[in-house]
Parts: sequence; structure tokens; C-alpha cells
Amino acid sequence: MIEDDIYRTSSQFRLWSFTEASLQSLRATTNATACERVRSDIRKSRDAPQSASSSAAGTPAANPGSDVDSKAGEGSEDDCLTPAEEHQLVQYFCEQIIKLGEMYKPPLPTIVRATATQYLKRFYLTNSPMTYHPKNIMLCALFLATKTDNYYISLNQFAAGVPNDPKPDEIIRFEFLIMQSLRFTFDVRHPFRGLEGGIMELSAILEGLGKPAPHFPSQSPDELKRKLQSLSPPQGVQQGTSVQDRLARAHHGTREILKTAAQMTDAYFLYTPSQIWLAAFMVADRPLADFYLDTKLGGPVDENNKGNPFYELRVKLLRTLTDCANLLQSYTPPVSNQEQKNALRRIQKKLSRLQPRDKPEAVGQKRIPAAATDSGNSESEMERLAKKRKLDGAQANDLFGGELVMQRTKQTQGQQPPP
Amino acid sequence: MAVSPLPTRSPSTTLSTSNTAFRLKGVAARSPGNAPSPQILQNADRELTEQLNDNVRQRYMKDKKLGEGTYAIVYLGHLRTEPSSLVAIKKIKVNAEYKDGLSMDAIREVKYLQELSHPNIIALHDVFSSKDQNLNLVLEYLPLGDLEMLIKDGNIHYGAADVKAWMGMLARGVWFCHENFILHRDIKPNNLLIATDGEVKLADFGLARSFADPYLNMTHQVITRWYRPPELLYGARQYSGAVDIWSMGIVFAELLLRVPFVAGNSDLDQITKICEAFGTPTEENWPGVTKLPTYIPADKGHIVPVQGRDFFLRQFPTAGPVGADLLMSMCTLNPSKRSTACQVLQHRWWFTEPRPTNKEDLPRKAGGSQKMGSDLTRKGGELDDSPFKDTARQLDFNAM
Repeated sequence: MIEDDIYRTSSQFRLWSFTEASLQSLRATTNATACERVRSDIRKSRDAPQSASSSAAGTPAANPGSDVDSKAGEGSEDDCLTPAEEHQLVQYFCEQIIKLGEMYKPPLPTIVRATATQYLKRFYLTNSPMTYHPKNIMLCALFLATKTDNYYISLNQFAAGVPNDPKPDEIIRFEFLIMQSLRFTFDVRHPFRGLEGGIMELSAILEGLGKPAPHFPSQSPDELKRKLQSLSPPQGVQQGTSVQDRLARAHHGTREILKTAAQMTDAYFLYTPSQIWLAAFMVADRPLADFYLDTKLGGPVDENNKGNPFYELRVKLLRTLTDCANLLQSYTPPVSNQEQKNALRRIQKKLSRLQPRDKPEAVGQKRIPAAATDSGNSESEMERLAKKRKLDGAQANDLFGGELVMQRTKQTQGQQPPP
Repeated sequence: MAVSPLPTRSPSTTLSTSNTAFRLKGVAARSPGNAPSPQILQNADRELTEQLNDNVRQRYMKDKKLGEGTYAIVYLGHLRTEPSSLVAIKKIKVNAEYKDGLSMDAIREVKYLQELSHPNIIALHDVFSSKDQNLNLVLEYLPLGDLEMLIKDGNIHYGAADVKAWMGMLARGVWFCHENFILHRDIKPNNLLIATDGEVKLADFGLARSFADPYLNMTHQVITRWYRPPELLYGARQYSGAVDIWSMGIVFAELLLRVPFVAGNSDLDQITKICEAFGTPTEENWPGVTKLPTYIPADKGHIVPVQGRDFFLRQFPTAGPVGADLLMSMCTLNPSKRSTACQVLQHRWWFTEPRPTNKEDLPRKAGGSQKMGSDLTRKGGELDDSPFKDTARQLDFNAM
């Protein structure tokens, strides 16, 4: 049994690995299902009060199809978020998870934050932000990750660390829904451990303690060390930096990519943990990454070796790693970019017009009663919610209604630690 | 070498109705010959996730109750499409006292069993939720009870070849956990369940966790006391797979003696009994032991030298000299000198006469399904059948 066989039994491979096409198709389906619901809810809310008030108002019942107002409420394509908009929104809240985790004292471990980020991304493969707002889901996803990644802190303590002091019950009520959406698989295989292993191997080589790779028993520690020391420097680094410093720099650079770009992009869905860290390593220090692969697969890619299984493997691997590296490099932090900020604001505006289902009753198996059947109330649930949303919207000047993490950041920047 | 994450052939089946590439894991796909999964509920109002869950839930029928504990209820169940295919359905009870969501035991159990697929580890076929947010684990049905039952029953006779077969299966299960960077942390005879064909299966992952990164602390309050290694009794916060190997060694000893080998009635007594049986830990035989958080200096006049091969051979004659050597390597006081799971599997005892009994020919006992019911509903780390059960330690999460 080799490592690949073991990885293939992991839930990450069985349930959470995709091709780009299958990932896209899944997101499109989820988006379409949610849009369908949004439109049906809007239709219901429009029809229900009309039938109830038609006689009382004394005006002839308007034909919904010809009415200008109802056309606006029809739930046209523009009213719903597109899959791309949903994706952008979820990515933004993944950023917020990382930031929130940093604010705890001590900060939540990188692994916990990374696991929570992947939970959020997995959650929104089959749920739409139009149904469950990510600002609610992200908190519970982070709390769940503290439990699944051996960093359990009590819910009260966890809640106390969140800005705006949400009630613990408000956080935990999404747990079951999230677990169900995660298909009850909690294990996330991260690329961090692989990176540490690779760096340890390279450090050993540098100390003259390198071990030959399984297929190259003739490699000698001295030869490995000499080759490592004679590598050309990476781009942007001056000649004369010690190899030790270079290793440390590459280690740090790779880790940063793994903590950010690898989390925010679809890397985990499309590539294995070892592919991800090797690709990030390539981005951080290409000659060093190439050297590392040379030690495993025997020498640089050389056309003369065509037909040699190692050559074929190397070419195939390089293609995958290059694709993954391109994906990682495509990432730019959304909040650092005014254009993306504006786009997010636009998405939020659209979202605020839609009916979110994340009321307590809606979680898990318990369904929110359809507004149309709520005939006993003079004011339908839909109208009430619409009013409430308007109020919420008026209060919220910041992104997404009094943004939790951003507020806290301001406080800390103002040198006033929160009480 | 790395592979591209293309859709797998293994235990998944494509859910055609959802028009996606989303795959569904399940028994139906694991055992070929089963009818395709029932149609998912056609209900536009239900989210995709709920439809997937409905689909899994509808695959099973619950039959009679096998057991009930404070933590779970276990039912006998079967595949709707195939009444002869039995499963155990473990329904996790919602603990009203615990306000922090799903309990840590349940989280651990689900997390690790979802990842471990091995003949000597209880198979988790599916997980689904039923009404009121109850969690149901569909587990492999193991009707022949557990090793504890066989050890205790005086009417059952077994010999060295049988012990070798059981230990071999246990060692392979533990090796696979460690190979996947998972510590079981509660190995004992009543967590070793027996399948219809006699195969031993490691169960109850309620205390399991993945290996910590170097220098990170873990809790030392794990493993049922009689099976707990000295480093945990001394409060070590950094430890390895060696803790499971010790438990395995103690199970080995118990299989041979047919009574628990070192059965302390308190943690302190447990240390005393270990010292008497195997020797007193000192800086000489275990460098660093005196630095462990709750190390208790031994009475100078009462230092038992570390026992050699002769002692093990005298104490466990059934094992034979080679078997005694293996047992000694598993019960080494110093965890860094103790055998690893891989070393255990490479030991020459497995190649020495007698050959291990074929699993189908191993001694067995009826009435095991009730035993499975009680085994699966017990909370981790508890000695449930001793006068000391109330003193069993709970996991102290704040100490982690």
C-alpha cells in the first residue's frame, strides 16, 4: 500500500475533490436551486396579500402578469446572485475567518482557521449564500473547526472573542446544518505538514545528512549538499545570501501562500495536499523546488530522457504543479482592492433584497413555514422580514451590516484594545 | 507520487438526479450486487444537502434495539433493498447538558471512522441525520461480541494459536491507525469486536485524535486505567503511538492470563502495580522520566529492577520464548524504546509455530449482538464492569 492509496480512501478525495468542470457544474446547480426558491418565495409573497385584500380594497384584482410593480418583484435574473457573485462573497468571508482567528488571544492555530475556511467553502458547494448568509455560517464553521482540530474552547469563550458579542446560541444553531452539509466528514488534509517535511529534508541535505531517495540509492549526502549549495539564486534575491537563509525565506514564503492563496482559491478542491505545497514552493523559490523534485525524480527535465518513466512522470507532475501555481498566483486579497470592494458592496445590496432562510426554525430538518400559509397574521411574514431588512440596511453603513471583523480591526488599530 | 484528483471509483456512487458530479458514499456501492439507491425525494423545497441526507437515510431500516447507554442507542438495522444485509445503527443522543453542539466523543468518532477503511477497524458505512437533529452512524454489524467476553467465559477454551490470530488482527488495525497519523487512545478487550467471520475489529474512536505536531501538548487523561501506559500516568503531554502499543501489550497479557494483568484501583495504585510487575522507572532505564509532570519518586528501598525475558517467560508460558519477547517489547517502560506497530508486525513470533488459527475456526460465543449494543453505547475511557467505574476519568478539555 502506498501513500496514494491511503489518500484515495480519505473523505477529502472521496467527496471533496473535483475537476474544474464538475466543480463549476455543482455550483451552478446549487445557484439555480436557490434562485428557484427565491423566485417562488417572491411569487408567494406577492400572491398571498393580493388575494386577501382584493375585496377589501375594492379595486379590481390586478393581473399580476401585466402589472408593472409585480414585474419588478418577479425575481428576474438580476435579482438573484450569480454563481460568480456567490463565489466572491464566500471568498470574502473566508478572509474574515482568517482575520477573526488572528484576533483571539492566543490566536487560533493556522490549522484551525484553514479547516474552518475549507468548511465554509465546502458548505457553499451545496448551499447558497442567498439561503444562508455567510456571516452566520462562518462563525459556526470556525467554532466547529476548534472542536474537530483539537483546539476546543468552550462556546462561551469562543463567542466572547467575536466582535459585537453574538449570543452563543446564535452561533451554535447552525452546527447541525453545517455538519450535514459537510456530509459528516470533518477531516481536512492540509498541505502544511508536507511543507514541514520537505523543509526538514532540505535542511538535512544542507547539513550533509541527506538520505538518498527510494529510487536513487546511489545519491550521496555530499553530492546532494554540493548541488543544493550551487543552485542559482531565486529571482529578486541577491547573490551571497546563505543557503540557510534562503531555505528559511522559501519556507516562510511558501507557508504564507498556503495560509492565504491556497485557502481562498479552489486549490483544495482541485489538487492534493502535496501538489499544493509543491506548487506554492515553486512560486516561492523555483530553483529550490526544482532541486527538491530532482532529488526525488532524478535530474532535471531532459528531452533526451524521453520514454524514461521518471521523465514522463516529471513532465506530468510539472504540468499539474504549474496549473496549481497559476491558480495560487491568481489570488489577490479582495479587501485590498477598491474594485473588488465595490463589487462586494453591490453583491451585498442584492443579497439584502432576498429572503435569507437562516432563521432559527430553518436550520436542519425544521422548516420555516411558508409565508403564504401564514393567513392568521395581518402582516405576512414576508412583509415583516422585508421591513426588518430595510431597517437593518439603514443601520449598516459598513459592508454587510456592521461588519464584525472590520470593526474590530479599527478598534485595535486605534490602540484601544476591546474590553 | 502525486495523482490528479479525478473522480474515484471507490466507495462512491454518482447521484444522477441532482445533475451534478456530487458523489455519495455508501454501503450500496461497497458491496456490489445491491440494487441502486432509492430515488431521492422530489421536493423542490428541500436543499440539495437535505436531499442527499434523505437519500442516505432511506437506504436503511431500523429493526430492534440492541442496547442503550447515556451517550447512544444502538439498533440492529438492514439495507432497505436487501434485508439480509445487517448493520448496526448507532444513534447519538443529544446531551441537553452540553451546550456546545455535538459532543467531542461523537465528533472524534465520526471524524476518524470516515477516514479509516481497514479489515480490522469497524467500518462506518454511512452517517445520516434523522428528525430532531439526531446523528445516526451506520456501522458494520459485529454479532460475535468482543474479546472481553471470550476472555471472561470459563467455558471457552483457547490456546496460543488463537491468541496469535487475535493479536495479529489487533496489531494490523493499530498499525493502520498509526499509519494514518491517528492515535486510538482507548484500546482494551471490550473495544475489540468480533465479526461473523471471526475477524477482530477495533471500535470506539471516541477518544481518538490525530498525531500532534512536534512540541504541541495533548491531554494525558486518556485510555482506560488498566491499559494506560506509565508515561500517561506520569502526566506526559507529548506522546506517540507508543501509548497504544502499551495497551496492546496489556491486552496480549490479558488474553494469555485470562484476567486483567495490572488492574489498579486508582491511578496511583496503577503506577504501583506497573512498577511491581515490570520494574521501577528510573533515569537509568528511562532517561527523562523524573522530569515528567506527575512523576512520583520511587521508594529507594523498594526499587524493582526492570524485568527481563525470564520473567515474561515464567509469567506467560503459553506465549513461548518468542512470544514472551514480543510481549516484553510492547510493555517496555520507556516509550521511546517500546516497539512501534510496524516493529510488532515484523516480529518473528508471527512466523514461529504454532501458526495463527484461521479466523473462521476461532473460538466463538453466542449472544454477542447484545454485547455489541453495550460496547457501542459506552463512553470512552470507562471501565464499565468494575467497582471503580465511577472513578473513570473524563477528558479534561481545558487541559489540552
